[in-house]
Amino acid sequence: MPQVIQTQNLSRRFGEGDTLVRAVENVSLTIDSGEFTALIGPSGSGKSTLLHLIGGLDIPHEGSVKLSGVDIASISGAALSDFRRDHIGFIFQSYNLIPVLTAEENIEYVMLLQNVAAGERKTRVSEMLELVGLSGLGHRRPPELSGGQQQRVAVARAMASQPDIILADEPTANLDSKTGATLLDVMRELNQSLGVTFVFSTHDQMIMDRAKRLVHLRDGEIELDELRESVAT
Amino acid sequence: MLTFRLAVRNLFRNTRRTILTMMMIGFSVSALILVDAITQGMLRSLTDTFTKTLTGEAQVLRAGYSESFDVDLYISNVSDVEALLSRDAAIAATSPRVVTGGMIASSYNVISGMTHGIDPLKETDVSRLDEALVAGEFLRGSPLEILIGTGMQEILEVDLGDRIVVTTAAADTGELTQALFRVSGIFQFGIRGMDDSFAFINIADAQSMLSMNDAAHQIIVQFRDPDTANLPLQLATDLSDWEQTEIYSWMTLNREIASMLEMSSIGTVILGSILFLLVSFGVVNSMFMSVYERIYEIGVIKAVGTRPFEIIRLILTEAFVLGFASCLFGGLLASLVGFATADSGIPLGQYEVSGVALNEAILPVLTPSQFVTYPIYTTLLTMLAAVYPAVYASRIAPSEALRKSL
Repeated sequence: MPQVIQTQNLSRRFGEGDTLVRAVENVSLTIDSGEFTALIGPSGSGKSTLLHLIGGLDIPHEGSVKLSGVDIASISGAALSDFRRDHIGFIFQSYNLIPVLTAEENIEYVMLLQNVAAGERKTRVSEMLELVGLSGLGHRRPPELSGGQQQRVAVARAMASQPDIILADEPTANLDSKTGATLLDVMRELNQSLGVTFVFSTHDQMIMDRAKRLVHLRDGEIELDELRESVAT
Repeated sequence: MLTFRLAVRNLFRNTRRTILTMMMIGFSVSALILVDAITQGMLRSLTDTFTKTLTGEAQVLRAGYSESFDVDLYISNVSDVEALLSRDAAIAATSPRVVTGGMIASSYNVISGMTHGIDPLKETDVSRLDEALVAGEFLRGSPLEILIGTGMQEILEVDLGDRIVVTTAAADTGELTQALFRVSGIFQFGIRGMDDSFAFINIADAQSMLSMNDAAHQIIVQFRDPDTANLPLQLATDLSDWEQTEIYSWMTLNREIASMLEMSSIGTVILGSILFLLVSFGVVNSMFMSVYERIYEIGVIKAVGTRPFEIIRLILTEAFVLGFASCLFGGLLASLVGFATADSGIPLGQYEVSGVALNEAILPVLTPSQFVTYPIYTTLLTMLAAVYPAVYASRIAPSEALRKSL
């Protein structure tokens, strides 16, 4: 399997002097295409920061991040925006969607940025809505959808741009366990059927149960990189 | 298209704030339009009063006459000059005047004054002298008729039908000449200088007294379009062959009033600048509030690949929609006020400008350009005021925005 993510001696610090926090320290990690990986650890362990560094949302103080062979540190501004748009799908903890746009328009948003033709956009929106089990609800705005449905729209949006990898930062944090499990099943299904690479930042046991690889973080460093033979279904 | 849709919907996420901002911008636009309309109306009233009182919209004079009022600087062949002027399509009417200073005496008193010889029939086309009569009759062309102002009537202690003697110097020779008149009418312009010291007689009597034959000192000109009198005066008629005779716009002859017109434009610019400044602070505040409220969302849309420029475009589109909608509201408000006062005008009481008494209600002058220019400026300014919040939003680091809001 080709490597999608390569980080080399990655470090990110916040504050200085007495308030210095080493959020990520000397992290080297590779993730292959098609993996379903979870970055896990207690609060403040550096999961979200590492995910942001991988996704080009933050700049490391030291080290490098290569995503699909491209050194993210070498690009900036509009080029970095374009890179994220074309190669990475994001799912965040909450308020993922633009509240004034309908579910369809939210899914269509990134494709509009990519200048995908109108017909193609319409087809992909329908496919994505069906894939996440929201057919018929595309005209609803986020406030008219449940938390789980909103996260599914976020998954559909992340998928619609056909990225190399989807980074999900605590995607189930604001969902009840049943809704969270359903959402994870959707993502797992996409991973298995379409080979989409997922990387989670989480401390949700349900995600840990389903992930094939668990990267344990503590105080910004990798404590344990665990590849599991069997996972919950 | 999505940017526009997004901008419109974003604006109405906080309807109360948007409506308040729109009202602030809209009221400013309507204030600008109305202040300009009232200023234009006031200036039009002032100009109209000024030009129709006596000065006329333009005057044909011999070079040097306007500075010296020398009786010797007259136009010899008035009929020919008037015939030439009548061929100019821009000119609606002309009326000759003979003007001379002298002593005006009654049985009880004597004062110095300016006597104007006028053609009664033509004069009504270029001035409101006939409308200013408060007693007696306007000149009919009969000998010995004289019109005096209410102030002069008081000083000379005369009434209609009483005798008055005018003493002046004849043109060219400078010899004293006298004539007896009977008061046929009393006028009141409301301008003390005119009411106290001006008298009007038939032009034939004036020409006879001054031994001027068919000559006149002034030919008052009335244009078909009053704006023709604004500088620079552009006419087809060329009078250069006629004894150094030229046409002078009333603005040239009365620099004080012309300067006031120019000052009023500056005043509108100053007022506009103050309003624009206030509006811009309001817009910056409103747009910043809007950006701060959406900081997490901006972080998300940046994370998914929205370029910084596209964020700027979105915020500026929001500002454009805000400005445009506000201007529609402001324009509508100004139209309603304009139409409501179109007939009755806005009463500002009696006031005096450069010796000209104005007591008529001011009719606001609303023009299409006011409804185009000010809204365009305001919309552009609204967008300009939004540049700072837009650039700020575009520079928000996604990770920072996501972290701040959590």
